[in-house]
Amino acid sequence: MKDNPVLRESLDIFFTEGHGFTVYFYLLIILAPVEFFSLYLPSLDAQMWSGSANLFKVCAVTALLLTVYLALRVANQEFAPWRFKPIKRWVRENGLAISAVGQGQLAFLFLHVALSILLCTPLLIWAGAIARTPFPRVAGTFLLLLFYALSYGVWGLVTLALWERRAESRQVLIRCFFFFLVILSALFYLPVNPVAFLLAYIGRQDLPPLSIGAWKAPATAVHFTFHVLIGSIGLAAHRWALRKD
Amino acid sequence: MSFSVDTPGRDAPPVPPLNSCVGVDLRGLGTFSRKFMEGKRLTHGSGWSFLLLLSFFLFPSLCGAEIFIEPRIGFHGVFQLGRPFPLEIELSNSGRPAEGTLEITVWKGGATKGGAPYPLYYRRDVFLSPQSRKTVQLTVDPDFISRPLKIAFSSPAGTASREIDLRRHFSPSPVILLVSEGNTIPAVSLSSTLTNRLVALTLAELPPDPRALLGVSHLILYDQSLRDLSRSQLLAFDTWLTAGGRMVILGSLNYSLYQEPTISRFLPVRVTGTKRISFHPALDQGERASPIADVWAQASTAIGGKVLAEAQGMPILVETSRGKGRITYLSLDVGRPPMSQWNGLPRFLQNLLAPAVGEELAPRTRWDDSVFSQLILSPSFISTYLPTGSLFVAIVVYLFSIGLFSWLWQRQSFPRRTLMVAFLFFVVLSTGGGYLLFSRGGNIPDGVLLSSSVMESSADGYVEVQSNLAMFSTQIRQYGLQMERGWMELVPVAAPSRDRPEPTVVFQDGSGTSRFQLPLREWDYRLFRVRFVDRFPLRAEFEQQAGKLRMRLNNQSAKDLADCWLVVPGQRYALGDIPRGASWTKDFPLASEEGQERSGGRRSDAVDFREISFKDKTREILFHSSFFPRDEGSVRWSTGAAVFFGWVKDPDRRVSVDDQRIRNYDYTLFRTIFPLAGPEDE
Repeated sequence: MKDNPVLRESLDIFFTEGHGFTVYFYLLIILAPVEFFSLYLPSLDAQMWSGSANLFKVCAVTALLLTVYLALRVANQEFAPWRFKPIKRWVRENGLAISAVGQGQLAFLFLHVALSILLCTPLLIWAGAIARTPFPRVAGTFLLLLFYALSYGVWGLVTLALWERRAESRQVLIRCFFFFLVILSALFYLPVNPVAFLLAYIGRQDLPPLSIGAWKAPATAVHFTFHVLIGSIGLAAHRWALRKD
Repeated sequence: MSFSVDTPGRDAPPVPPLNSCVGVDLRGLGTFSRKFMEGKRLTHGSGWSFLLLLSFFLFPSLCGAEIFIEPRIGFHGVFQLGRPFPLEIELSNSGRPAEGTLEITVWKGGATKGGAPYPLYYRRDVFLSPQSRKTVQLTVDPDFISRPLKIAFSSPAGTASREIDLRRHFSPSPVILLVSEGNTIPAVSLSSTLTNRLVALTLAELPPDPRALLGVSHLILYDQSLRDLSRSQLLAFDTWLTAGGRMVILGSLNYSLYQEPTISRFLPVRVTGTKRISFHPALDQGERASPIADVWAQASTAIGGKVLAEAQGMPILVETSRGKGRITYLSLDVGRPPMSQWNGLPRFLQNLLAPAVGEELAPRTRWDDSVFSQLILSPSFISTYLPTGSLFVAIVVYLFSIGLFSWLWQRQSFPRRTLMVAFLFFVVLSTGGGYLLFSRGGNIPDGVLLSSSVMESSADGYVEVQSNLAMFSTQIRQYGLQMERGWMELVPVAAPSRDRPEPTVVFQDGSGTSRFQLPLREWDYRLFRVRFVDRFPLRAEFEQQAGKLRMRLNNQSAKDLADCWLVVPGQRYALGDIPRGASWTKDFPLASEEGQERSGGRRSDAVDFREISFKDKTREILFHSSFFPRDEGSVRWSTGAAVFFGWVKDPDRRVSVDDQRIRNYDYTLFRTIFPLAGPEDE
């Protein structure tokens, strides 16, 4: 995998040439002020008086939105797009197998998400310590961040493989996808929404189960099934889109 | 109609013990007789068992403790609804020694308090020796009585419990106590219009906790020596009196009882002997009854207070104040003829027991979630319980370091592998170091106890203190609130959160001191109001003269006052600091009606506090939101008043939590409000 040319190309563009530093700059420059100023934010809950009580929640949700959004954009090659070699050239000119292209893209997505979370780690851990969040909840939050960023991020690869030459269409689609699934899904069924689930998880609250007639399913099971499906369908769609042409 | 007197008595029969070892013995005897009757030969083992059981039957102390609970509610079974009352529990143990916990459960909250009912537990550790009795005195304060009060004693040696229906015991109005030598009652009768229950007590039955007397309106002393009053009883009695209690001392032929030092401290006269006088009673204003000849009266000289009635040069009726309370002394012996046979006596005594008129309560401070939110969210206060400075520095250093790493990476000054390892090491180090700093070594306390108090100047160097408490926690733990002496009421303001892990427990020791064990979740808080009566000899007296206000101030307290102000309608005067020992008299001009009209406005009687500000933002918030709330100005100062106030430096702590992980912040304001006469009054 280390010698995968697609992965090497992405690493070179992002880290050797430095085009990827912007992504991590955005991540930290948004998360850090949010963390500091949320200490002074009032809370809506009468029994929880201030941002200090919700510091970890606010930081975790910010980190979630940023990592998912940036993962989608990185997977969609929105940063320095002119530097990336099109998939067709990898296959036709370099004779690279479709599966190798897919693996390289997935590996870079994973590396990017891991580095994003690593950079957020000190800020989130400090927030957790100040807000007295139990350590298992903090650890669980990191796993959830990784899970969501990969589940959603893979759809950036899908749009890239499907409409590689239509960059603007991809960008619009990626943003619609993000806003619908990560934000607007709360309007339809709260436990499906990652933000709601993360808040409930950190706050040790139970979300309402999914009831269809007499049949009831626990909210946690529904949530993870939905996101595993999103991720699996994304992976399958990515493989299909790569092989389509 | 004769007044009712509740005589001492047991409220209910004792409860049988839960673990009856007698029952065990009888079962053993039954087994033996059954085996004997069946003609079966006793085995070696069963014979020993029988002997063992027989020994338990003959020597009960070898088996478990037998505990009986016998409660005595209020004052001979009477208490005022909604006020704390004494609860005396007699524990009898006829078994082996038992060391356990006595727990009383009462119910708080409920519909009258606007919240869900929740239990409050009073606990005391008790050791019961074998074949012994122990009396435990507590003060309990249920909010409602539709649920029974539960008393339980639990120990490894035995348990017992009992439930009491309080509905049989309450009185809607305060109780009047009569303490008389040998529990004798003067043969007097009161008018049927007196709704209060009169209860005769012996001296020993007076509770040692002032809070237990809060449901008592008057305490009448007749022919009674106070020599045998214990120190805690005397202290409780004194505290209750200064907090607004009324004491009526009726003279008797045994004048020497009234010369004892214990009672002399309450008397506004010095009793010298007895004398027969002719008494001209005044029943009401302008109404005089025919004179009564040869009435036994104590000869005395007034040493304080106000003489309300005299006869033959002797004070007959003298009234004096003590803090917010009042002491009335009647030199006549109403228990002996001819006074005891006088028809007008009930009406005469009823006048003595009439509630004082024209007394205004001190303006209440505001204390609720909104005030607390303002306080807790003020940036100056946040830094007292959160490491905002350290977090800011940590974030800046972290961002700068990440920037430095990326710069070094692009410059390729170091091998990239080395830089990656250094970067990973830096992230891990900053994560771990920051976690330790902010969770353990940081500036975050486990909890903060904020106390904001207003001392309202009262008579005789006493002050009534309204303390508003906020106990807030940054993590799940128990907090032990220790109340100092002199506290009278503790009322929770905020409703308990729904998922509070454990209820509040009150630990009371024998001397009447109380400790509240308060469980809180992380980032949870509870608000309370506490009332204290304390001595604080700072006098601020006013005299309104034509166009000016003369203020005499004498600070004999042990505290300095800072940021003092005098505010009168239309004007305010900064008085600066007033150190202890300071004494001065100053004249302050009052804004005239013409002057105010010249300045373009109508004369306003309202005192304006809006322009007053303090350097300390917490003081500012407390002043404008809690002590003198802008939106709901008190009638006392909105209709024309002179208000003097100043912040007490290093105030005494009245409620504390003895734990280094808990911070205490105390803010105390001394306040005197003097109503000014309006133009029509002048």
